[in-house]
Amino acid sequence: MGIFSDIFTIARWEVKKSFSAMGRNVLPLAIILFILLILATGFVARSGMHLQDGMYTLATDDRDLGDIFSADGRFTVYFADPATILSERGAFDLVIVNRTVLAPLTDRGRSAAKTLSRDYSQYVASVYNREPDLFAAYPLWIDLQYVQSELDFQATQGGQYISVRQRSAAPPVPSQPVVQVTPPSTAIPYTADELRKNLQQDVGKNDQLARYTNLFTQLPSYENFKTPSQLSPSLPFDSIIFVFVFIFPLYFTSQFFMMSVMNERIGRKGEILLSSPMHPLVIIAGKMLPYLAGMLVTSTVVILTAKASLLILLPLVPVILFFLASALLIGMLSRSFKELSFISIFFSTVATSYLFFPSIFANVHVVSLVSPLTLIILQLQGTGFSASDYLYSTSLFYLTSGVLLYIGVVNFNAERLFDLRPFIPRLREFVGSAMSRAHPYRSLFIANLLLIPFIFMLQMMALVVLFNLPMPLSLVLLIVAAAFVEELAKSVGVYSLFAAEFPTLPIRTLVLACAATAIGFLVGEKLFLVAMLSQITESVFGSILFLQQDLLLLWMPLLLHFTGVLIVTLSIRFGGRRWYFPGVIAATVVHSLYNLHFILGAMR
Amino acid sequence: MNGRNVWIVARKELRGINYEKTIVFAILLQLFVAMFSSFLMVGLTSMYDPSSVSQYARFRYSIAYAGNDSSLLDRLQDSDDFTVFEMDLSPALESLKERKLAAVIFVPATDPGGTDPVQVTLYTVQNDLQATVVGVKLKDVFLGFENDLRDARAQRITEQPVAVDFPPAARTEGFYEFVFGLLIPLLVFMPAIISASLIIDLITEEYQHETLETLVSTPITFAEMVWGKILACEILVPAQAGAWLVLLALNGIRIANPVPVLVLVTVASLILILLSALTALHYRERTAAQFIYSTALVVVILLVVAIPGNPLNLIVRASVGNAGMETWGAILLVSAVAALLGYVTHLYARRVGRLAQGGI
Repeated sequence: MGIFSDIFTIARWEVKKSFSAMGRNVLPLAIILFILLILATGFVARSGMHLQDGMYTLATDDRDLGDIFSADGRFTVYFADPATILSERGAFDLVIVNRTVLAPLTDRGRSAAKTLSRDYSQYVASVYNREPDLFAAYPLWIDLQYVQSELDFQATQGGQYISVRQRSAAPPVPSQPVVQVTPPSTAIPYTADELRKNLQQDVGKNDQLARYTNLFTQLPSYENFKTPSQLSPSLPFDSIIFVFVFIFPLYFTSQFFMMSVMNERIGRKGEILLSSPMHPLVIIAGKMLPYLAGMLVTSTVVILTAKASLLILLPLVPVILFFLASALLIGMLSRSFKELSFISIFFSTVATSYLFFPSIFANVHVVSLVSPLTLIILQLQGTGFSASDYLYSTSLFYLTSGVLLYIGVVNFNAERLFDLRPFIPRLREFVGSAMSRAHPYRSLFIANLLLIPFIFMLQMMALVVLFNLPMPLSLVLLIVAAAFVEELAKSVGVYSLFAAEFPTLPIRTLVLACAATAIGFLVGEKLFLVAMLSQITESVFGSILFLQQDLLLLWMPLLLHFTGVLIVTLSIRFGGRRWYFPGVIAATVVHSLYNLHFILGAMR
Repeated sequence: MNGRNVWIVARKELRGINYEKTIVFAILLQLFVAMFSSFLMVGLTSMYDPSSVSQYARFRYSIAYAGNDSSLLDRLQDSDDFTVFEMDLSPALESLKERKLAAVIFVPATDPGGTDPVQVTLYTVQNDLQATVVGVKLKDVFLGFENDLRDARAQRITEQPVAVDFPPAARTEGFYEFVFGLLIPLLVFMPAIISASLIIDLITEEYQHETLETLVSTPITFAEMVWGKILACEILVPAQAGAWLVLLALNGIRIANPVPVLVLVTVASLILILLSALTALHYRERTAAQFIYSTALVVVILLVVAIPGNPLNLIVRASVGNAGMETWGAILLVSAVAALLGYVTHLYARRVGRLAQGGI
């Protein structure tokens, strides 16, 4: 019980301190700003976004059409008679004469034509969905049915693209026995009024204005019952914006925590706290508690105002922990306010995009589950998520925040906190003291095991960034980047642990350390992949198959990881610290060649 | 106020930024945002409209057609994207499960001209990118079929929309609107936002590290020190924004009017920097100042974007070449606001400086 009362004491101090520093001056202005924020949001909702106004020029001879299209601010519409328009055609991005659209064959012309045709289908939809006889205006409805297929497990595991391309002209014959199905019934599951409401809401959705105001209304949406024009998968736009409403308060609160940690270090203010008999873990937990509580309360308030399900809190918890753990380390590491700002902005951008980008594909692909935010979107959409979905998308966050917190706790002492040396050596020391000198091999094994989730995150980011490049280049660069990340990560443990004594290190210790690293890395990698893949395919057979197949080939990647880290350590051992980077590069080259060989082999 | 003293302070701050390599993080951040948003754009279009990626455009998918005859079957057979097999529903679904087909379509015996809607069932494989591709390709065929049915029921429709002929859509869509309408204003304004946050750190650091007394005891006045810091932050803005424009030009994205764009960004960023300098001088403490600044920034950006003809919109229009003299008018207006704010900041800094010398 003593520990808990200590934690509460520190939490109380923390609250008192931050309120006395901030409260009196900041609160009034913060309230004013908050009111202004609501007013500004209302203003934007009313007047719309005017970022792309006047991007395109459009000339037409038809008043009606001109009025329809000038509702879109992107077009500046000019009226003239057909002869004038056609002689001045080059001066406009688009021309509509005799109800025919003419666009120049430039990027800009094509883009303008595309925007115009989207506006036009909006207009058509708005005319048709007012029709008294809905099924005359919308005579065709498509019922989407999904079929489970488990045959493609091995191909997806190898990251290959499966296509159904049949050369023969004859219809395919199934190899399995055919199960007789009854044809679907022709009765419509919804009434005409329900469908009309849905159609009208859909038109409103693409309207910039309604996009933001409809956030909290929850009209039924018919996921699987659509008109042809609704057939492309729906972008969960509203939910994505809504997700930002959750992330922003978390971001701000973690900034406060970061600053509170930093403040302890300015002028050695935290020395009193450190000299108390309390364990660093207790101090950190106490300091963190108010912010954790604050984040949970804010999120709950947001959920309740949105009348959403409180289940959304579940995927937010690991995100909150991750933000707090990173804030702790950033606050402990930065030397100055400038550095704190830049590192924290950088971190939050990277973290937000990591959380954000997969969730956009929430309705398209299972991979979107890498981000806990996807669970929130699914919950908001009413689809919900299962316990295994939860495990899959949050385990990375729980693991990484656990590791980060551990590093923070181990280094929470005077020597590390009041050190003003540059960022990188300090980071190395932080990692170094998180490992046990007495059991170097065991700690190397565990360290590399725990590095895997971070590596996975980094490789996902590399995938994101390199995705843009043309095909063979992006593949090669991705292989190189992935190899570099892995080699760098493997070397971090050994390098931090033995930093000081490298020149005198016995070769035997070095080799054993490399072996421990390689084994830890491999075990972590395989455990992780099995967990991820069995989730993606949802097939137990698949994961067993994968594991067995791989056990036979296990020595190959093990040898590869061992060689890689050995190259790096040997180059530091004999070349000194200056050879660290060249060593990593050399290991990357070896690693990439190995991967290239196997991928090219698989392609052939 | 002595210009040389201001410059000395500015140089000192720029050296500090260079020494800590913080600017590297800032540039990395911008690079990341740029790549990330382009990823989003490419990813979104290819996921939600896969035919825009030429790689998918050349496949011919096998699909099964089950149920009753309709004009949909003719339309599918005429399409270049599909090979159609007329099959019974049960074997077709089994083939779909075995991935021998990409989709199965079932059409009921509803009368095309009747009062009931035609309810077509489309079977695809769950959680598969290919299902999305096929769905988007089928959309065009279904739209054609919908028009057939609408024609059959035309006498019951009371109001027809104005018909417009569009040129055939291009096979691949460029990213013109995204690049000019979002990426460029974002990239060009990022340095301004970063600099405005930097000035808070530079000013509050003097207070919280208690280095102010040392500074005040030198011949440099407090106001000169503040202006030196503002200058250091301001210099970074056109430098970074200009670098972005050069990089974009190297990538083949040419901006129509780079000069007004740069001038506008520089002046508008001065407003942001001055506002956050005032916040920092008022609070003298980083947490509070940064909090107020970030909240105020959101409010300001929201308000600015909601006003027609705002600076961000002018940047878009200037970069596509659709802006005339109004850009320079806006620059004048923004400069006037910046000058006013500059005067307020100067008075405030002088007052703070006098108080500091008075022994506080």
